[in-house]
Amino acid sequence: MQNFRRFIKELRAYGRIMLLSVFLTLITATLSLPPPLVVKYLTDHLSTGALQNPSLRVNLIGIFGLLLGTACLSAFFGYWLSVCLTYLGQRFKLDMRRKLYAHMQTLSLGFFEKSQTGKLMSNITNDVAALDQLLSGSLITIVQDTVTLTAVLCILLYQNWQLTLVALIVYPIYILNYLAFIGKIKFTHHEMREQRDMMYGDLQEKLSGVQVVKSYAKERFEVRQFIGETRSIMDLNVRIGGMSTGLWTVAELIGAIGTALLLWYGGREVIRGTMTAGSLMAFYGYIGGYLYGPTLRLIQINDQIARANAALWRIFKTLDMQPNVNDVPNAQPLPPIQGSVHYDHVWFEYEPGQPVIKGINLEVKAGEMVAFVGQSGSGKTTLINLLQRHYDVTDGKILVDGHDIREVQLASLRQQVGVVIQETILFNTTLRENIRYGKLDATEEQIIAAARAANIHHVIEAQPKGYDTKIGEDGTKLSGGEKQRIAIARALLSDPRILILDEATSSLDSETEALIQEALDRLLAGRTSFVIAHRLSTIVKADKIVVMEKGIIREVGSHDELLALDGVYAGLYNQQFKVALEEHAA
Amino acid sequence: MDQIGRLLGYLKPYRKQVVLAVFLLLCVTCTPIAMPLVVRYTIDDVLPHKQWNALNHVFWMIIGLYAVRGGISFALNYLLGWLGQRVVFDLRFQSYRHLNRLSLSYYDTRQTGKIMARLTGDIDTIQYMVSGGFVTFLADVFSVIVLLVVLFLMQWKLAIAAVCVIPFYVLNYKLFIRHIRPLSEKLRERWDALLGILWEKLVGITVVKAFAREEFETDNVMQTIKDNFDLAMTQMKLNRKLGAFAQVIRALGTGLVLWYGGALILKRQMQIGELLAFNGWIASLYDPAVRLVDFNVTLQWAGAAVDRVFETLDTRPEIVDAPNAISVQEMRGAVEFQDVNFGYDGEHPVLHDINLKVNPGEMIAVVGPSGAGKTTFINLIARFYDIQHGKVLIDGIDLKQIRLESIRRQIGIVSQESLLFSVPLKENIRYGRKDATDIEVLQAAKHADLHEFILNLPQGYDTKIGEDGIKLSVGQKQRMSIARATLTDPRILILDDATSALDSKTEANVQMALERLLKGRTSFVIAHRLSTIMNADRIVVIDGGRIVDVGTHSELVARPGVYQNLYNEQYKSAREHSLEALLA
Repeated sequence: MQNFRRFIKELRAYGRIMLLSVFLTLITATLSLPPPLVVKYLTDHLSTGALQNPSLRVNLIGIFGLLLGTACLSAFFGYWLSVCLTYLGQRFKLDMRRKLYAHMQTLSLGFFEKSQTGKLMSNITNDVAALDQLLSGSLITIVQDTVTLTAVLCILLYQNWQLTLVALIVYPIYILNYLAFIGKIKFTHHEMREQRDMMYGDLQEKLSGVQVVKSYAKERFEVRQFIGETRSIMDLNVRIGGMSTGLWTVAELIGAIGTALLLWYGGREVIRGTMTAGSLMAFYGYIGGYLYGPTLRLIQINDQIARANAALWRIFKTLDMQPNVNDVPNAQPLPPIQGSVHYDHVWFEYEPGQPVIKGINLEVKAGEMVAFVGQSGSGKTTLINLLQRHYDVTDGKILVDGHDIREVQLASLRQQVGVVIQETILFNTTLRENIRYGKLDATEEQIIAAARAANIHHVIEAQPKGYDTKIGEDGTKLSGGEKQRIAIARALLSDPRILILDEATSSLDSETEALIQEALDRLLAGRTSFVIAHRLSTIVKADKIVVMEKGIIREVGSHDELLALDGVYAGLYNQQFKVALEEHAA
Repeated sequence: MDQIGRLLGYLKPYRKQVVLAVFLLLCVTCTPIAMPLVVRYTIDDVLPHKQWNALNHVFWMIIGLYAVRGGISFALNYLLGWLGQRVVFDLRFQSYRHLNRLSLSYYDTRQTGKIMARLTGDIDTIQYMVSGGFVTFLADVFSVIVLLVVLFLMQWKLAIAAVCVIPFYVLNYKLFIRHIRPLSEKLRERWDALLGILWEKLVGITVVKAFAREEFETDNVMQTIKDNFDLAMTQMKLNRKLGAFAQVIRALGTGLVLWYGGALILKRQMQIGELLAFNGWIASLYDPAVRLVDFNVTLQWAGAAVDRVFETLDTRPEIVDAPNAISVQEMRGAVEFQDVNFGYDGEHPVLHDINLKVNPGEMIAVVGPSGAGKTTFINLIARFYDIQHGKVLIDGIDLKQIRLESIRRQIGIVSQESLLFSVPLKENIRYGRKDATDIEVLQAAKHADLHEFILNLPQGYDTKIGEDGIKLSVGQKQRMSIARATLTDPRILILDDATSALDSKTEANVQMALERLLKGRTSFVIAHRLSTIMNADRIVVIDGGRIVDVGTHSELVARPGVYQNLYNEQYKSAREHSLEALLA
């Protein structure tokens, strides 16, 4: 309920258009009422008895005009009602999506690591759409149907309350029937959906793992299993179909009993002369066309609200998520830096009480190259994430050119820290736009220069559309090495003073590797750089090698210094390259 | 259209049910005609002549009418639902069976999501058409014909008044829909594009954040959403205009009927009950008329889905057993390539003139730059692709003469990315041999150095992996697939870059498990690590799709060539620095 109150609060901005919608709804609901009255008029004036009475004159042109006139008015107001409603719904979706997406963008990396991309997407797409349905569908239905129901009931009771009661005897049974069936249908439907999702999940897995299926010659087994799953879904679907057919068949029958009662009892009244045939026909029209539909819709609203409630909960949960890294009030932009970095007694924990970085001290001079070495889980990536301020340190501080990075504007820090990560992420756009991402106002010359320096210019030129070639699903496919070089060009273009490099484990061939190495060397030149290194050639080149183990620095020094130390690094080095060493000695 | 015919062919096994359904449909469409007749009878005969008894008859007539209608329509709908589901089931089953028969080359060129979509969305669309659209179409055709006949029989002049607005109705629809449809199409495209952008930017959030581009991205996405908004508004406005005009035209028709009918009554050519009945009938005339026009849209829509599904069904599997293929029960593991040439598309050869004889139990390391054809080379052994020229022989028999299943059962593959399924660990290991006992599974896990790790899990071997289970590290996954391969006890083992994604300590663990697995089997290993390569009995160097050299490590290092270059480049720095270290 709290969610709803908040939802209503969100709606306040659309107050005027909602008011207008309600007003238009009232008009259209009223305009839908005349047809049975027309029938009444005609019946009363044209019945065999009435025709004998010359004083009763029938105005046929008037009827024609009335029908056409109400239709025109109703079409006109209905049109504007729809425009208002669609505008309201679409506008609401637009604003809500903007809010959600902009908010997600401010959230820190930790949030995205914990959430599945699919769920975030569905937050923005499906959940917001569910709210629109509630807004432009259900809320209006409530107004419209309540108005229609009340108006019709009033008309009927006013005309002949006994007849109304007789006709409505079956009404509660009708509702009960609906409620009795719908519970079971919903339950079965739920079961079916679960099984279907399971089947889809299985299918997805087996289709993407088709190589394993084929390697083990398990095709027949898989097909058998699939039949089992599909068959039980089919059975459930048939059962659902049967039940809902049952529901509507019984409902129609109950409605028919009501009609039969109406004609029987009403007919007696007409014969007795206490009621005209026209009134009976008007009753017949109203009860058949104006009562049952709105009632059911009103009952169904319950479901829609429940569904929207879940969506509301998810949306507000995302909106309430606080970014764990924020600009402090009146943070100053970081002035252009030289690139010295100082980790000063840095502690960090993702989960309280479980520090992953334990009191790290490290001084890096501007222009130095630092290689991090250590097993996975030793804290290398965390140290680098802290420098980009994806997380804030738990204790201690990180200084860039003497500025505590928590006290400067986040954007100004990140603009001066470049990153090339292991799995290269490029976007589905042209090669030019991908490189330009590093610096949105870069000129064509600058882009080409960056591509040249990254050893990728000739590859791009060889593409049919050069820099305008699209990559991704409907564009060309690039190899891993080419992607990496695009990412390097992107980083070169942004010209950061500090560069972070998460080296790819090489499944690249040596020629490509040489090209990348060359590009990287150009990129690293003259910048402070932090490299999570896997290649020996990178490690030995570093000014400082930092050997990490379980969140602390075990050794720092150059390659030769560390070998001379004969500690962890020397051990690692010997283990990994023993073979090569032995081979050389032999 | 042919495809729709072919789809209807799926109904053939259920011919009896279809005939019954059509019959029931005919009966059901007649009932809406009856109710206005009851009304007419009441108004024209019963009430003016004060027939009390007849009033009771009216009561039972209505109840009877709807009881009969209810019974028939229940049977009909149940039958239709069953038929639709049944056809879908058959189609889905056939498609999936067929997909499993298709060779790997089919999957290479298609995205899993698109293949999925055929089995799910497309077939659902077809179901909708079979049990929804198509039946409504039939029902509408029947009821329009029957209604027209009844109307003209009752009062042909009045019928003309009622029918004369239908052309306007249809015209109005056609005029608008011409503009609405492209808009809807565009809207769907835009929406897909939006989803694509969202997905990409959420997945690539690290890049967005690294370059501090959050605002730029928000504006970008909002622009796309705004475009969607504008389009949706335009489309809806057109839609509503169509609806508004239709409403007016309909009122025009009803008005005409009442006007003219009233005049006929005044001339004593007709009675009021008849007019009321007419009024009831024309309401059920206009709706079906538009739905009929609309049907070709449904048809086109479903037609595209039907096309795609049949396209899948019509794709011939490239690799099938020869009619007289034999099954090799106990393979020794000798493999021979004779003048093998192969290209994926037949135009661009990837492998040229491959000749190689491998003895049972031999370990072959395959070395070469990426793109040289190493993976293609080993994929031919499990016959994932058929070669265009030359032969691959196993134990001296042409691969194409052996039943596919019997080959693959005896070949084990461990590749770079281990694919595990979201079932318990036990079942994942057992995947290759469903009849393995728990003890055998346990031994395989021990072999792969996994037993202790698994025992320490709360649910042990019953622990599920994947989304709602535990997450395994790359090394653990790798060892899982080694355990899986161990259990099938293959004669030939293929390791495709199995350890390249692991760090050195994890690699040492996996390496030990691998060595145990390799013992006594013919094996083909693609590797980058020198230590693995050096263990091989022979090293095959592939470059540009050709075998450029074969020999042991010491032979190959000694002679100038690709291997020596590779070796030097990869280990140069290690050697140089070790030299320095030795000198220091």
